[in-house]
Amino acid sequence: MLLPARMSVLNYLSAVKDADINEIMEAMGPQYKSEKQFTRQTYLDHAMSLEANGMCSLISYELDADGDLSLRFRITDEGKSAVEKYVPEKYRR
Amino acid sequence: MSGNSNMNHASAADAKMKQLSRKFRVTGLTAGALSGLTYGIYTTLVLVAGYYEPLAGAVGILAAPYVCSGLNDLFAGIWLTIYNAKKGRLAEIGRTLNTFPGKMLVLGALLGGPLANGAYLVGLALAGAYAIPISATCGLFGALFAWIFLKQRPTKRVVAGMVICVTGAIIINWTKPEGSPNFTLGIICALIAAVSWGLEGTLSSFGGAMIDTDVATNIRELFSGLVDLVIIVPLVGGLGLLGGTIAAGLPVLWLAVSGLSAGASFLLWYKANATVGCAIGMSLNVTYAFWGVLFCILFLGQPVTPTIVIGSIVIIIGAILVTMNPLDFFKKGEK
Repeated sequence: MLLPARMSVLNYLSAVKDADINEIMEAMGPQYKSEKQFTRQTYLDHAMSLEANGMCSLISYELDADGDLSLRFRITDEGKSAVEKYVPEKYRR
Repeated sequence: MSGNSNMNHASAADAKMKQLSRKFRVTGLTAGALSGLTYGIYTTLVLVAGYYEPLAGAVGILAAPYVCSGLNDLFAGIWLTIYNAKKGRLAEIGRTLNTFPGKMLVLGALLGGPLANGAYLVGLALAGAYAIPISATCGLFGALFAWIFLKQRPTKRVVAGMVICVTGAIIINWTKPEGSPNFTLGIICALIAAVSWGLEGTLSSFGGAMIDTDVATNIRELFSGLVDLVIIVPLVGGLGLLGGTIAAGLPVLWLAVSGLSAGASFLLWYKANATVGCAIGMSLNVTYAFWGVLFCILFLGQPVTPTIVIGSIVIIIGAILVTMNPLDFFKKGEK
């Protein structure tokens, strides 16, 4: 069984230095791409909600080649500790 | 030229970021405010359902509130399942239940549903609208449990808020309304609801931020409704009443609408917590005490007494002070 999507986003952020929504979706793609919920808006909501709860922080933003806003997130110590406590070993990246 | 173009690019990014942040914040604040309004509507509609037979003439103090609570929560769970199915998130329910934060959510649902919501409805049945602001002291208990179990020391502001909440509760109880023999028991039930909701909030600190709030509310309401109807209602001897209520039709329709309102309220509340933070989310949600009392006065003939008006206002001010510094609300709004 897959991890819930929001938890999976945080799990991914724990394995990389930082990432933007495109990179997060690219990494989630192989497992979640076929689902109706796999939209940019949903994943932006996941990242921003994790940020609002102190699990990750927004470190930079810029316009991408298409003129869309690209937000870059990095996991916080609190987020790392949540991953270590609540994400089972077999799912860790 | 290249320097200029870089600067334009950066200021365009700044403008879009500002717009996105504002949208995210306005969505959160609106969700929080609407969660209070819809919870007030839910409270009023459940009371309306209770005016119909066989609920109105039910024997004992537990059967009717638990039949109402169970049907309401089950309907809320069904509405939320339909919503999540439309959003393509049904698989998330099983995935979430498979995690530790998901299991904590179920435990929280048992506290917040069968225990708290049941006690809230018993409180409403026995003490009328007086029970609503008393239940709004859940923020006080949340802060108290965070102090005891999570070692989060409350600040002076939080302690002041707690004292104000208690003062409001005393004001509400100062004079018992006439014709309510079980008034004090109703107030105690509302307090049990507040304690249980406070504990439910504490459980969400075990990884709750990693769970999609739309899925969390769905699980909460479904579990709460099922446990009420399958376990609690038979235990309190309410199976006959449940059958009679379903057969009567009209009260079930009211509970389906109240379930829609309760489901929307939880969905919006959790969304507000995940968007603008728990402190502001909870402060906005607690305005349900105002709406609930107002609707009971406007539509259900609840008498307006100085103790209910002053007590409600004092509790709402105290509850907001427990959860947030009101000055922060304005500071952040200026950004």
